[in-house]
Amino acid sequence: MERALSSEVAPVTVGSGGPLGNFDEMFEQYRPRILRFILASLRNKESAENLTQDCFVRAYRARDQLRGGSSAGTWLMQIAANLVRSHEASGRLKFWRRMLRADVDLSDAGDWIPDPQMSPEQMAAARQQVEKIWKVAGRLSGKQRTVFLLRFAEDMELLEIAAITGMKEGTVKTHLFRALKSVRTALEEQTK
Amino acid sequence: MSQHLSSQQILECLIGAGDPDRQRHARECAACRAEIESLAKPLAWFRASVHYAGERAVHSSFATGPVLLLTQEALDRAWYSNVMAAIKEAIHPPKLPPLEVTSRPVPVKDIWGSYGGQEKRAGFSSLAIHAAAIGLLFIIGTNQTVQQVVRRQISLIAPDLAPYQPAVKKDPMGGGGGGGDRSPTPASKGKLPRLSDKQFVPPMALVHNPDPKLVMEPTLIIQPDANIPKVNMDVLGDPLAKSMIASNGPGSGAGIGSGSRGGVGSGNGVGFGPGSGGNMGGGAYRIGGGVSAPQVIFKVEPEYSEEARKAKFQGTVVLFVVVDEKGNPRDLKVIRPLGLGLDQKAIEAVEKWRFKPGMKDGRAVAVQATIEVNFRLL
Repeated sequence: MERALSSEVAPVTVGSGGPLGNFDEMFEQYRPRILRFILASLRNKESAENLTQDCFVRAYRARDQLRGGSSAGTWLMQIAANLVRSHEASGRLKFWRRMLRADVDLSDAGDWIPDPQMSPEQMAAARQQVEKIWKVAGRLSGKQRTVFLLRFAEDMELLEIAAITGMKEGTVKTHLFRALKSVRTALEEQTK
Repeated sequence: MSQHLSSQQILECLIGAGDPDRQRHARECAACRAEIESLAKPLAWFRASVHYAGERAVHSSFATGPVLLLTQEALDRAWYSNVMAAIKEAIHPPKLPPLEVTSRPVPVKDIWGSYGGQEKRAGFSSLAIHAAAIGLLFIIGTNQTVQQVVRRQISLIAPDLAPYQPAVKKDPMGGGGGGGDRSPTPASKGKLPRLSDKQFVPPMALVHNPDPKLVMEPTLIIQPDANIPKVNMDVLGDPLAKSMIASNGPGSGAGIGSGSRGGVGSGNGVGFGPGSGGNMGGGAYRIGGGVSAPQVIFKVEPEYSEEARKAKFQGTVVLFVVVDEKGNPRDLKVIRPLGLGLDQKAIEAVEKWRFKPGMKDGRAVAVQATIEVNFRLL
């Protein structure tokens, strides 16, 4: 279980050079990741794009508050997680608006090809499993889903997740554990 | 450490939170590793699919720099603020700048009256057609034969020559009826049936069909205020007859008496007594009171007699005529003679005339009328 940090997770310090130049760099670097996380959480492209923009606007306004020691990725992800949480809280009132929008997550994920060397049967089975995980992740509670996505979609360490969500490591572990349990139950149900 | 990991411990390993001993066991034990793999593989695929969807989203969305970003508040305004803004706009609509007209009228082809340059020819041909039509009327009007035909019109009028009587109810009654079933005995005495304006069944003194399918009261068509002879008898019959042996009489066409067509008496029709065409009192119906005048549909010009022509005699003969139900003139009589053989000529001509019979209640009836025949020398 090797978990090498990809280059995009590498910490970037903000505020050393010209504020806008560095921020541009940070935007280019972290935007795909933030967008991906929000998209996986909300399963809606328009909201995800809006929230990603909002996330960077907030980050830009509060760029002075970023302490030199913490990683910019963690900081941005923290803002994104907060935005997702508040969006879901307000989204309960806008359920009709959600009905009008087309959810694109499953069709986008359905296009994904697991491995070109797999047999069609294996590929179909893999796709079914992935779809199941998508569905289960959608049914999870907000905290569990955030933790699950950060751990298994973004490959973050438990301490990092704890920093982002503002929870203790033990709490993060509990949430992760419960999320994983429901995923495993769903997958076992499918294989039966 | 030969003991396998529990399902809970496997999950902990996946999370990355198991203690080092269990982590090592997970790496070494094939069974445990397989179990971890069975869950880790779908999770890895899930990760890949999330990354794939994220990449697609990044590529499909337009990349904007942070300077151009709009805030979420600006994009997602609360509904009440939208409503307030709409109300405000409805009450105080914002003044728009004066409209600048950038369009300009363009000359287009006239679509009305497009003769394609043939206006003159069309006008001339129209004029020619009108002139030809008017000229044709002139030619017809100036023709001698046409003028003669127009001049030799004979007017047919039907003046009622009988003296005017205000009490019209009883006297102008005309018509009659008769019937019988060709029996050898004369019609028997009896009362008249009910008077009506319709007849479904003729009266019979001797009933041949005692059990009819549909019982209808026999009637005679006589106006209701007619002064019919009253007979104090229960059986139907001819009130003026003398025989007491039940008989319908020697007539024909049902009814009672020596006449025909379903009435009572010696006449011809569904009335009573001599005469024809229903009702009673003898004779035919007169024009007026629901009886329409007969109309001439074919007529023959009367010839001048030799004497009258030589004497250059002219005048009017008035004839009495009964126009029967079929439109044929009968019973022609001269009311106002002219002499010199012209009366005879008038009767000869009128006998050949054919009429549309007079109508009463939608039925053709015999009607008496007077005809004036004018003799004029052109």
